[in-house]
Amino acid sequence: MKSQNDTDKRKLTKTVVSQPAKVTIRKLPSGVRGLDDILGGGIPEFSFNIIAGTPGCGKTTMAHQIVFANATVKKPALFFTVLGEPALKMLRYQQQYSFFDESKLGKAIRFINLADVVLEKDLNAVFDEITKQVMAINPGIVVVDSFRTVMRTAVVGAGEMEMQLFIQRLALFLASWEATTFLVGEYDPAEIRDNPLFTIADGLFWLSQRAERNSVVRKLQIVKVRGQNSVPGLHTIRISDGGLQAFSRTLGFVLKNKKPARRRRLSVGIPELDKMMGGGVLEGDSLLVAGPSGTGKSALATQFIAAGLRNGEPGIIAIFEERPKGYTDRADSFGLNLETPQKNGKLEILYLRPLDLSVDEAMQEILDAVVRVGAKRLVIDSLVGLEMALAPGFREDFRESLYRMIVALTGAGVTILSTVEVEDTFTGFSFSHYTISFLTDDIIRLRYVEIDGQLRKVMVVIKMRGGNHSKDIREYVITGKGMVLIHPRSTDYDGLTTGIPERTGPRLAQEEEAAPEPKATK
Amino acid sequence: MRDFAERLIAYETRGNKSSETKAPAAFLVSEKLRPHLASLMGKVGFRELLSRALVLANAEIPWLRAVRVKADGSFEGLDELGAQVGPDEIFEGRVILLAQLLGLLVTFIGEDLTLRLVREVWPKLSLNNLDFGKGDKNEKPK
Repeated sequence: MKSQNDTDKRKLTKTVVSQPAKVTIRKLPSGVRGLDDILGGGIPEFSFNIIAGTPGCGKTTMAHQIVFANATVKKPALFFTVLGEPALKMLRYQQQYSFFDESKLGKAIRFINLADVVLEKDLNAVFDEITKQVMAINPGIVVVDSFRTVMRTAVVGAGEMEMQLFIQRLALFLASWEATTFLVGEYDPAEIRDNPLFTIADGLFWLSQRAERNSVVRKLQIVKVRGQNSVPGLHTIRISDGGLQAFSRTLGFVLKNKKPARRRRLSVGIPELDKMMGGGVLEGDSLLVAGPSGTGKSALATQFIAAGLRNGEPGIIAIFEERPKGYTDRADSFGLNLETPQKNGKLEILYLRPLDLSVDEAMQEILDAVVRVGAKRLVIDSLVGLEMALAPGFREDFRESLYRMIVALTGAGVTILSTVEVEDTFTGFSFSHYTISFLTDDIIRLRYVEIDGQLRKVMVVIKMRGGNHSKDIREYVITGKGMVLIHPRSTDYDGLTTGIPERTGPRLAQEEEAAPEPKATK
Repeated sequence: MRDFAERLIAYETRGNKSSETKAPAAFLVSEKLRPHLASLMGKVGFRELLSRALVLANAEIPWLRAVRVKADGSFEGLDELGAQVGPDEIFEGRVILLAQLLGLLVTFIGEDLTLRLVREVWPKLSLNNLDFGKGDKNEKPK
């Protein structure tokens, strides 16, 4: 009879044989902000990649960022230049970027010019030169820029089969030498189908740019990356002093906090409005404040942020039209101090420069600020301003990106107040011409009404997804304390929401009002 | 840039004070730089850069007009000049030529990268207190 021990041993052996450990593919940092998230964690080590695209969309810059992020003296990078951008000019321009680290040149990063070999010899000589250098230096990263030039020479001097063989040999050689390779080249999307290079490659990073009216829009697509899940689709890229930056369509946004199971009611900073909302806005809600110009949307937003700060909740105010100084001055006039929390790192007023932003870039700036200050409240003032700040080509993506950001932030428990300007018509009662109401949990509508020879302001809570709310239409004024609700609901009028109500109650004696609404000073 | 060029030449001639060694040493500096720069920018790139340096140096040293840069980046015409031009003049010409070459590198890739390139060839060379702004015209100090 076999012992239990033997049975256990057999089981163990069987387990080991049937479930061999899978190879772990290390992921290298790309050095391009946002790209690692898009790639699904980074660049697979020892992979053979193509960085393709039209001139001027950042291929060489991306290759440099990868090189500078990974090259060390122990595991250097080899950068082969061919007939594209001369190395001298490349160094001249690339050193302008902040990622460029001069101390790495020479020992950690070596530039080798292949132009003479490509011009004077054949593909075998090119292969021999690359292998000679790789075997001498044993690099972790190899770049050939531009590989297109090598291939163009090959097409002239050799047959298609020879070219395919060359690519195959190169890929196998570099992989066996444990190098992660990037071939940079100007390719047309139509070539993907027929060019064997794209079949052999493990990763294909496609960069493009197109003019949209007066703006240039640059995009990145990870057409393929073997062995890991990348984020599909076109992602906006921007080239700035820091080099290339990519903005993932999913915004790469994973906050550690999750929306709490039991959500608190948060004060919006106006006690009477809190009551109308059933005790305040639910934590993690998206609240839309809609109204025409001058109805106090920004005042309400300021009070919302100030209430949070008083409660120890850091905040972000993203503004697009008004300058931060104007915002803090208005807060001052309401007796709300926004300067000190800014100095203490509890509040950031984010002024996003108008007209040339990509939508994902704008969202990323907001998300970065939220993470930076650990914001629990966010004001977007206004959605119209945000849309206007975008380059024309991105406006069509506006609703989709806004939706993704709101879902990501509210999912992490951040409470958002967005303002939107709507025109008051005297027949309708729209909430927003953007049809973004579906993005919001709660809606407050502000509007003008004509009463007793005055243009007054009323508000109503239209929707509270998280519970019941007051149905009252309440008059309010903007005073030195901000927005203040002044009267209980009026039962003397019908049709308040049209803006031209009909009196149904008795006309009361009116006192002369010299200044019904003291204007905010300072 | 003259200071830079002279230091390189002095480093190559260190331990040898004979005036006969002046000319070969100055020439050797360019020759030692050649493979490194050609590896970076290709033979064609190096030749173009050296040719431009030669044109710039011609303005200061007339006898350099008889010198040509060959396809591989080496000089031709120097030997023939040996009989007509004294060793000190040859030395001065090569200092100016080297200074112009270094000046072009600094113009294109900046002081830091130029120094790094030079240090790859002469790792032990001391370049402390090197003033790139001094002697822009590469005149011989009086």
